[in-house]
Amino acid sequence: MGGLIFTLRLQSRRLALWAWFLLATAAIGCGKAAPRSPEQLRQVDDAGDTVALVAPARRVVSLIPAATELLFGIGAGSSVVGRTQYCDYPPAALDVPNLGDGIKPSLEAVLAQRPDLVLLYNSGQNAAVAGRLREMGIPHARINTDALSDVPRLSRMLGLLTGHLRGADSLAAVFDTALAQATVKPASRRPKVLLLVWEQPPMTVGRGSFLSELIERAGGENVFSDVTASSGVVSIEAVAARDPDMIFTTSEGPAAFASRPEWQVVPAVKRRRFLGVSGSEFERPSPRSPAAIRELANRLREAGP
Amino acid sequence: MNGLRIGLLLLALMGCLLLGLLAGSVSLPLTDVWNGLWHGGGAGGAIVRDLRAPRVVLAFLVGGSLGVCGAALQAMIRNPLAEPYLLGLSSGAGLGAVIAIASRAAGPWAVPLAAFLGALAAVALVYRLSLVSGRRLDPHVLLLSGVVVGAFAGALMSAVMVLSDAPGVRNAFLWLLGGFGAASWRALAVFSAYAVLPLGLLFYHARSLDLIALGDEAAHHLGAEVDRIRRVIYLSTALLTAASVATCGIVGFVGLVVPHAVRTTFRPLHRTLLPLVFVAGGCFLVLADVVSRTAVRPLELPVGVVTALVGVPLFALLLRRTLA
Repeated sequence: MGGLIFTLRLQSRRLALWAWFLLATAAIGCGKAAPRSPEQLRQVDDAGDTVALVAPARRVVSLIPAATELLFGIGAGSSVVGRTQYCDYPPAALDVPNLGDGIKPSLEAVLAQRPDLVLLYNSGQNAAVAGRLREMGIPHARINTDALSDVPRLSRMLGLLTGHLRGADSLAAVFDTALAQATVKPASRRPKVLLLVWEQPPMTVGRGSFLSELIERAGGENVFSDVTASSGVVSIEAVAARDPDMIFTTSEGPAAFASRPEWQVVPAVKRRRFLGVSGSEFERPSPRSPAAIRELANRLREAGP
Repeated sequence: MNGLRIGLLLLALMGCLLLGLLAGSVSLPLTDVWNGLWHGGGAGGAIVRDLRAPRVVLAFLVGGSLGVCGAALQAMIRNPLAEPYLLGLSSGAGLGAVIAIASRAAGPWAVPLAAFLGALAAVALVYRLSLVSGRRLDPHVLLLSGVVVGAFAGALMSAVMVLSDAPGVRNAFLWLLGGFGAASWRALAVFSAYAVLPLGLLFYHARSLDLIALGDEAAHHLGAEVDRIRRVIYLSTALLTAASVATCGIVGFVGLVVPHAVRTTFRPLHRTLLPLVFVAGGCFLVLADVVSRTAVRPLELPVGVVTALVGVPLFALLLRRTLA
């Protein structure tokens, strides 16, 4: 009995201490060096919804590989408490619990991490999950990570939401400079590149896609830049007619399809002009993109016209 | 069947093949196509000779084969809904293809080969399940076994797709949706070598199909070895369909509806029905492939999507007109 009373008194003392602390910080806040008021922790996400936080997020479930990379980049890595199976960079991200592939995630797995912010890829498949999170009052943002310009933009957005605005600003500034330096000035005759992202059936990516941006900045020209869909199946006939100088593939070494007879109509296949890359820096916009552009530019230069 | 009808059919056949050679994601004038075809030179020589010509012939052969398979199965099972993919084949092939992609099987022919093996495995399982009391192939059990084996293989396929972290495993369905983008003279040679025997067997048993369509007992009294013929027809259609899935993915609709369309128009016996269906199915698939190549240039539509989009309204119209 005595023990119980003691505990209660201790708790009330602790409460009082907390109340004092809160009042004190509020007073300091009113006085000088204002911490962010709730209005400033308000962002509109890429789905058009408003994300409002009462305090910077400390437990972030990031279900987008590019966002995970950015969170670590701006110094908020220790706040990441959930990731996708594809979040492989930086290596420290691998220590964060893996919550699956990030599309239509398991709500139970997400809630188990007690997140105060959930980052979802902005696609139709995730709309239902976003709705459920809204019903449960869990802050979440749906974001697009499809272009190089998303890197500084999202860096600042995530910096605000996690309270790492300074890290975000410097990452964005470094990125912009590095991107400008890595970008090759377009030569009079740019090598024509086929971006082959899948072989059976042959699939390519069109203008505005991240890979297309990379190759254009590396001094190449996407032969299917007239395709506006993010990706599409093309015929070998169309490839042959556009006669690419190089074929970009995401597999190292000569790709398996190169020995199939129907592909021999394409001169670049016959001459084994492949630009095979591997590594997640070619999969998503990230602070590593300028380095990826430099690598592509070097490989294009080495291959010659 | 009179000479005029055969003449019209041959004319339609030539027209389809010519259209198939002329159309494509690249516009080539008639003279270039002609020169390219016979001399291999000129602006589009390689395109016409190495890409379009084998593609058109392959589409024709596959379309014809699927049509004949459908006609034979409809007669053999005595069910108008019978079609080449009903017997668990398509899911078996899909499972094979997905496993090949998920296990990162290398090699240019890995996916088609795996699809072929998957289809054969499904066929063997369905065949074994449907053999009742010794060597008798029961049509009803055959249908049910086909459906359940297909469902099982489909579930396995989904499980592999969800669990695999291989890049691009979700693109497997694109391959399965069908297309002749990978046509080449070699693919054509492989398919033809494969198709000759089962097609020959099906044409050979055309008269027996008429008898079986009357009913097992009647067919038996008229001298048909019903059980043996049924086994031969099932295995022939299965092999033919497996080969076509491995060549161009799952092209639905041709095997189901082309036989019905031909039947409602001509009402022939199977001896003439099978060749007619072969030509009609071939022409239909060549035309569908033309649409798939040209509708959204430079992209391609899966040919299975086109066959259904174009074929269903046509067939509905035909059906209503015959009923009226």
